[in-house]
Amino acid sequence: MTRLVGAELLKLTTTRTFWGMAAAAVGLVLLIVVLSVALDTDPTEDNVRTIMATAGFSGVLTLVLGGVVGAGDYRHGTIAWTLLITPNRLRATAGQFVACGVAGLAIGAAAYALAAVIALPWLAGKDATFPPAGDLLEVFLGCVLYAGLAAMLGAGLGALLRNQVAAIVVVLVQIFVVDPSLAGLVPDIAPFTLTGLGAAMSGVDSDGDLLPAGVAALVWAGYAVLLAVLAAIHTARRDI
Amino acid sequence: MVTSVLEVRELSKRFGTNVAVDGLTFTARPGKVVGFLGPNGAGKTTTLRMLLGLTLPTSGTTTVNGRPYRELHDPVEQVGAVLEGPQFHPGRTGRNHLRVLAAAAGLPRSRVDEVLRLVELDGAGRKRVKGYSLGMRQRLSLASALLGDPRALVLDEPANGLDPQGIRWLRDFLRAQGADGRAVLVSSHVLAEISQTVDEVLVISRGRLVAQGSLDELTRGAEAPVWVRSPDTERLRAALSARDGVTAEPVHSGEGWLAVRGASLEEVGTTAAESGAVVYELYRPAQSLEAVFLELTGATEAGR
Repeated sequence: MTRLVGAELLKLTTTRTFWGMAAAAVGLVLLIVVLSVALDTDPTEDNVRTIMATAGFSGVLTLVLGGVVGAGDYRHGTIAWTLLITPNRLRATAGQFVACGVAGLAIGAAAYALAAVIALPWLAGKDATFPPAGDLLEVFLGCVLYAGLAAMLGAGLGALLRNQVAAIVVVLVQIFVVDPSLAGLVPDIAPFTLTGLGAAMSGVDSDGDLLPAGVAALVWAGYAVLLAVLAAIHTARRDI
Repeated sequence: MVTSVLEVRELSKRFGTNVAVDGLTFTARPGKVVGFLGPNGAGKTTTLRMLLGLTLPTSGTTTVNGRPYRELHDPVEQVGAVLEGPQFHPGRTGRNHLRVLAAAAGLPRSRVDEVLRLVELDGAGRKRVKGYSLGMRQRLSLASALLGDPRALVLDEPANGLDPQGIRWLRDFLRAQGADGRAVLVSSHVLAEISQTVDEVLVISRGRLVAQGSLDELTRGAEAPVWVRSPDTERLRAALSARDGVTAEPVHSGEGWLAVRGASLEEVGTTAAESGAVVYELYRPAQSLEAVFLELTGATEAGR
């Protein structure tokens, strides 16, 4: 499995799409961080935590990236090469799933690290009150985990739908239409929507009724694994 | 050295009501180049994809060394495959495409450069595939198939898109693979492309095997008629037709020509002399493999 994940990571990093989306994810986080710090006249402990939790936004883009990667093999017809080398379709799907997770973790970590390098000295210059280092570490872990799990869920969805545009549309509609609608109509469900789980993991919104970060991560991982298993079963039963 | 045997047994595939492959059985053995021939839509690609585990059969089995492809642990070392209209990520370089496959198969990176040299693509390995010609893509496909130094090759229409020089290169390549002890199964809808290379041919039409054997066996079975040109066709035709099992039909495309079946050149000449018919020309055209191919597949196609 290690060599499969390695091959899938190589597959990812040898296209411009990956680097473009990784740059977009990090760039989006930096833009929000810069604006937040610039506009913050009284950086309290909570504000600093929220600013650093912005790194969690990279998860939205790694979710899209996962969808693009998961469906990419079908779009370009390269799935046949993948399955000629790894005929066991469960293993082939798992390799890509895990590789997307690793790539997502790396993007999340890069986003947080760059946000920290820019925001923390700037905030210090504004006499900010910093939360304890343990809190910032927690935010870091939450954001990175979110970015990784988001990429995995995207990969599972992409492999299931086999269509990049459909995968991206489903992800965006889910986050920007379905999640807010559900949260409005049935508030009890809100913590279990992708938006609610993402916020819980990254610590973006500490006021709402969100699940604890660890539980949110488990629920999200459950969604991702379910999609990946469905994709593997679907692939095993279909002609390529 | 591990040898590979490709085996297809009672293989059938239906797509809805359309029967693409119908009870196909054949074997490809080490050291032999087997041509898998048939017109477009005959079921060649579907058969090869079932052999490679990409398409599920409706019934029947396909095995590589006795095991279904999907159950092979390290398939690249047993079978290398070129699929029809090979597809690549346009933004990835040819070399990186091979690096990904090599990494997944646990092969050393040095093997990538070896196969690139082998298919004479070493100069273009670092270019993105979108800049490749069709012929270069075919070569990249072949390089992918050779990565694991497999003992068998399954090649679906590898000559598609190749220029005459490329086809010549492919012929030499296939001959070398067979001579090296590999079992090679190569499909084509253009017989001329591979007729000089194959040891054995399988001809399919409408998903069914319509002929199997060496090229000699195939052409021998369908002997060409004797052509004779005479100013006295009626007398000659009557004399020939009087012989047992001999038919003589006028050839509409040529004035004074008869096509005689069931008689040798000598028998036609003797009959002409005995009947007193003057003969200007007498010969038997070599029956081309192409004609046999068309005859074999045409008969089935006409039954559609």
